[in-house]
Amino acid sequence: MLQKVIAFKNTKCECGHQNPVGTVLCENCGRPLDEEELKSKEVLEMRYDGMARRSQRANPNFIDRIWNFFASVKIAVYMIVLTLLGSMLGTIFPQENTFLNIDPSTYYKETYGTWGLIYYKLGLTHTYESWWFILLLVMIGASLVICSLDRVLPLYRALSKQQILKHMQFLTRQRVVYQGKIEGDAEEWVKQAAVPMKKKGYRVHTDGNALLAEKYRFSRWGPYVIHIGLIIFLLAVLARGLPGLKMDQHIAFPEGEIKHIPNTSYYLKNEKFTVEFYTEEDMPGEFRNQGKVLPKLFNTEATLYHCTADCDDPTKEPKLEAVAKHNIQVNDPMDYKGLKAYQFDYDLTPILRSVSPSLVDAKTGKELGKFKLDIKNPQRNYTAGDYSLELKEKYNDFGLDENGRPVTKTPNPNAPAFLFLIKGPNLPASGMQYIYFPKQIDKERFQQDAINEKMNGGTPPLMLDVKGMENVDFAMSTTYLNIRVDKVMPFIWIGAAIVMVGLVLGFYWQHRRIWLRIDDGVLTLGAHTNKNWFGIRREISAILKKMNLDVDEKSLDNGGKQA
Amino acid sequence: MGKSKKKLLQIVILLLIVIVGGYAIVTQVSGSGGKPTEGSKAPNFELLGLDGKAHSLEEYKGKAIVLNFWGTWCGPCVKEMPALQAQWEKWKDQGVVVVGINAGEDKMAVENFVKSVNVDFPVLLDPDKNSIASYGISPLPTTFFVSKDGKINKIHLGQLDLATLDKQIEELVKS
Repeated sequence: MLQKVIAFKNTKCECGHQNPVGTVLCENCGRPLDEEELKSKEVLEMRYDGMARRSQRANPNFIDRIWNFFASVKIAVYMIVLTLLGSMLGTIFPQENTFLNIDPSTYYKETYGTWGLIYYKLGLTHTYESWWFILLLVMIGASLVICSLDRVLPLYRALSKQQILKHMQFLTRQRVVYQGKIEGDAEEWVKQAAVPMKKKGYRVHTDGNALLAEKYRFSRWGPYVIHIGLIIFLLAVLARGLPGLKMDQHIAFPEGEIKHIPNTSYYLKNEKFTVEFYTEEDMPGEFRNQGKVLPKLFNTEATLYHCTADCDDPTKEPKLEAVAKHNIQVNDPMDYKGLKAYQFDYDLTPILRSVSPSLVDAKTGKELGKFKLDIKNPQRNYTAGDYSLELKEKYNDFGLDENGRPVTKTPNPNAPAFLFLIKGPNLPASGMQYIYFPKQIDKERFQQDAINEKMNGGTPPLMLDVKGMENVDFAMSTTYLNIRVDKVMPFIWIGAAIVMVGLVLGFYWQHRRIWLRIDDGVLTLGAHTNKNWFGIRREISAILKKMNLDVDEKSLDNGGKQA
Repeated sequence: MGKSKKKLLQIVILLLIVIVGGYAIVTQVSGSGGKPTEGSKAPNFELLGLDGKAHSLEEYKGKAIVLNFWGTWCGPCVKEMPALQAQWEKWKDQGVVVVGINAGEDKMAVENFVKSVNVDFPVLLDPDKNSIASYGISPLPTTFFVSKDGKINKIHLGQLDLATLDKQIEELVKS
């Protein structure tokens, strides 16, 4: 069809109007331009009012060819189908970014076998960030822009300068047609007919014996408004890749610790985390008496701090200012200037924060002094009564290496141990070495007393002992929060809202036009709409009734595809 | 609208699509994962050194850098320390600097360790593991060989011995 139209070079209509290549119906009078089309009795193709689309050129050059590629709806449909297929590939196995801490090069093979390895090697573990997926999105965006421009500009021109008197064939080959004799003066009849039309909301233009009535033209812009919305939507999705616009990370916050949120100037403190569980009675029957533990509520009392000075200087402590407080629960995140913190997970393993051991005389049990030992950041020197304690070594996770030397096995404070050099009254001048395990379980496991005896050649005269639980400080739990920033989201909503407006425009109104001309006492009426043909026939029937012409709605139907 | 105007509009729109699209693809592909690879620019860091001063990658600009990520609890890291120290002594007058970044341990643990193994090249602390994240480190030790122009020449995972280290540094200085 397109080829045929382009091949048809003589585009001058008999009304004298010169049409661009690709025009189906004369821009001026509406006469079909193709000779064969002219002989046909079929209902006219009214798409874009028979105007040539911009991409229809006689001799397309290189730029035109690119333009034409993107202007094709067929290509657009292919691209959308490809994008959908690509998206489906991304759902076969979980995407890399859904995991917190995995090594994808081994994870997929271990979990899903050979298929997992192939999936990983093909790069499908990050489908939605791959170059080809983004390229498809960009091409759909290009297609949206170019398809719209290619059609909306000619359509706009066609609709803004419509000829009132149309060619006879244009009228008789519409889908809604009426032909019949009228009585009286033609011009007078046209004038009178305008009255009921105006009442129905039509804008009426007359030209002697001819008339054009039109309403709801704006609904023709609906699809293009949808496209504008989609373009905004798409641009917003692509903009998510820009630095600073989107962040999504999971961070552990032990109770009572102010922790920096990476790549932001914010710090967050988990003041207190609580979790409530369902009792046996509250649980649904199938879960009861199975030893299942179902959490009912997670709650993190959080304080958000903003760094005001010395933020990037590692030699100084950052100056923080509390800016927000919120009880973070599932579905009730903290929200501060677009930074959102969602409850994600928790860990009820207590973490030892500090102990306050007492220095005790081993023989008499007399307390000689007390000091506070911070597990994570201990000081070098402490004093307890008349004694001075120098911290010589610190092990986070005490163990022995193959040579029997003490080492720390992991960086986590699982089994903290401290080696002190104690000096003071009744001790040798070089001091006394003393290893201290704050956790009772480690004390026994690693035989603290035996080590100390060995180091001092006998039972040491002093020992460190924690007197009562009030001298032990635990972080009772750790909460895991999902910290998100998404500055693009408002644009997604705006895009979606514009799409909605476009849909409403296109669906709830129809562009209706009625042309009529009177030649020698014979009225010829043709009408066109883009949908709801039943409605327009009914309207015309009512208008003709007002003009004392009783015409059955159904008899107006001239065949053709009904939309 | 004239013909030439139409053509101009076409070209402008196509160009805009190429620019926006190209930018989107490049930022997405290079930004995803964010792990630096061999040939890419070494990410900057700003960390506290054991000397009590802040150090950044930029201050070593113009020098070939051997960037070693380690922990006192990691056996292979401990074992390769003497090799690193030896190469530091050998190359430090030839525009090479060895920098050790400790992964998340406290100052005292690192200080004690450095003293016990007699290491005197700059050692930096990364308590929040910021540089660990920006360099995408998973196993320790990992060593980055960064050339004078700030590009990553080679990434070595696992323990280094004296000979390979020497060969790598030689290559690095030449590049």
